[in-house]
Amino acid sequence: MSGGLFLQSLILGVLLGGLYALMAAGLTLYFGVMRVVMIAHAAFLVLAGYLAWFFTTRTGLDPILSLAVTVPAFFVLGVGIRRLLITRLKPATMTMMSVLLTFALALVIEGLLGFTFTGVQRRIRTGYSSANFEIFGAQVAVVKLIAFVLAVVALGSLWFVLKKTSLGQALRATIQHREAAELVGIDTDKVAGYGFGIGLATAAVGGTALALDATIYPSLHWHWIGPMMAIIVVGGLGSIPGAAMAAMALGIIHAFLQVPLGATWAQTVFYVALFGTLMVRPQGFFGGRLAQRF
Amino acid sequence: MSRRRQVGTRRTTVACATLGCAALALAACGDGDAESGDDTIEIGISLPLTGDFSEPGEGVRRGYELWAEMVNEEGGLLGRRVELNILDDQSNADRVVADYEALISQDEVDLVFGPFSSRLVLASARVVDEYGMLFVEPAGASEEIFEAGYDNLFYAAPAVADDHYNYLFDYIMEMPEEERPDSVAYASMDDPLAQGTAYGLKDKLEEAGIETVADEVYPPNTTEFSGIAAQLAEADADLLVGGTQYQDAVNLIVAVQQLDYQPRMAAFSTAPTLPEFSEALGDDVEGILAPTGYSAAADYPTNAEFVERIAERYDGRIPSEDEANAFTTGQVVQAAVEAVGCAEQGECQQKLIDWLHENTVDTVVGPLSWDEAGRPDSAHFIQQHVDGEPEIVLPEDQATADFIDVKPEW
Repeated sequence: MSGGLFLQSLILGVLLGGLYALMAAGLTLYFGVMRVVMIAHAAFLVLAGYLAWFFTTRTGLDPILSLAVTVPAFFVLGVGIRRLLITRLKPATMTMMSVLLTFALALVIEGLLGFTFTGVQRRIRTGYSSANFEIFGAQVAVVKLIAFVLAVVALGSLWFVLKKTSLGQALRATIQHREAAELVGIDTDKVAGYGFGIGLATAAVGGTALALDATIYPSLHWHWIGPMMAIIVVGGLGSIPGAAMAAMALGIIHAFLQVPLGATWAQTVFYVALFGTLMVRPQGFFGGRLAQRF
Repeated sequence: MSRRRQVGTRRTTVACATLGCAALALAACGDGDAESGDDTIEIGISLPLTGDFSEPGEGVRRGYELWAEMVNEEGGLLGRRVELNILDDQSNADRVVADYEALISQDEVDLVFGPFSSRLVLASARVVDEYGMLFVEPAGASEEIFEAGYDNLFYAAPAVADDHYNYLFDYIMEMPEEERPDSVAYASMDDPLAQGTAYGLKDKLEEAGIETVADEVYPPNTTEFSGIAAQLAEADADLLVGGTQYQDAVNLIVAVQQLDYQPRMAAFSTAPTLPEFSEALGDDVEGILAPTGYSAAADYPTNAEFVERIAERYDGRIPSEDEANAFTTGQVVQAAVEAVGCAEQGECQQKLIDWLHENTVDTVVGPLSWDEAGRPDSAHFIQQHVDGEPEIVLPEDQATADFIDVKPEW
């Protein structure tokens, strides 16, 4: 591999890793707060992508502006979904049954998207779709950088909420030990609802970032849910910093493996990492045991 | 989790209502519930209306539906009303097999038409062959299909995948040595049709001594092309050849643009022949080459009427290769049915097959005849986007614009 290609692959890996981190953040948050495996997370990403595309084609404005509507809407939707659907599941079988429930949710979203927007692949066209600038001989795509910045801002805000606000403190307490949190007066039910809402709000940002630089179609979410699940397992279920680091590492490895292995085999890196983690360190590589996270 | 969508059309009823057609067809409208009785010919089709191939799949559907509408306006096939029974296979090779199995054995359709794309034709051809039915298909150009040796299969287009770029190859060879591209990069979907076109050209160029500097293959569901683009940019070939369908070509081109790789010539299969292509990429399509089995401007009998009817029915749309090849499929089957005088399962199918092996059919893509394995024996036009419009540039006697030797930057 030449020096130029090495640097180019590294830049692409970092930019993609940031996007993967944002897309996986919500997924690990749901699990942390409520032990819910949210298969429909990727479908919500695609839904957000469609809303951004629809917004841009209708108004002609920049797709990022659609976040002003989709982020609060997804938050409310998340709180609603938890309140109306997730809480109906028995706590003892929550994790397993949530897979079935959210699988159904994913199918419903896919079906509605297909019904509303047809199966045609859509792509957002912006003035900066193909813009780039050079850095040490490697090219940086403006649109990928924007997606990366969106990811950094969203994850930074998430970190700020979790670490610096009383809601964040309550969320972390709920993640660490639900009963103990209740004993000190935290309304864990309400907090978990907000946690779910925040998770879905990250999907609004992630989906918009994704749609900035790729075609979207209703069944696209099946393509993403696998790698995202692998990322949160490698990162340690429930750990947002873990998911971010795993996403970055796998994004970079993926970019580098494409050179010798080609696109077909390089994508197996996520699953190889998943199996490897489950065999060697089932609790994940980053973030430690669930009770000590954040 | 049945996600199958039945999209079977009762097109005649609509056609009758809106066009107020002749007494014969009115009689057919009258008895309403006729499914596949003696007065109808039911044609079974499975198409990728959702998933990877939904874009071209819809095009094929438009072509089939227009053909059926036009046949019914003329009083049907052998005096029987044509009904299409279209299932959605979701671009899935397992599903397409199940679809044809169901259409032939359960729905007992009288005839079948092929699905879109080699990958799905390859999967379905075996089933259709087992039932001994005539299988004319609009989009299975890859060599694998013909090598399987089905004698019931006919490809309703001018040329097989390997030969799509023949005119371009000849043109490159005739260029003065200093202008001729001396390195080529290939990026191709792991799909028989897409790869067949790119590798057909690759084999010929390599034999002629033009160096291959990159050869990337990606899975059909790929949407992230930056890694592949990085390697193409690194190789910096004079000619970039994409063995593409639709969305992969658009994503690949944008990814290549982002890395500022500017090849002197660029050729992609399928995508540039679709009107959606320039909608997605805007001015950046200028100079992009593509093989196409169809030209709306070509002077073949029935072509002008076909172009006019597509525009009328679909909002001013200019027909693409998908609509044209689907329509051609209809024309080929129609010619055989009318010549032989039957359309049902059983012995009739072999008669139709035998007739097509011995005759030439006039279609919107020109006169077609086939070899033993169903390979058509004509060649593809080469299309190029000139001043934002897809124009035919090769062969020169059919050209509607001059070939742009050095592609403007994208």
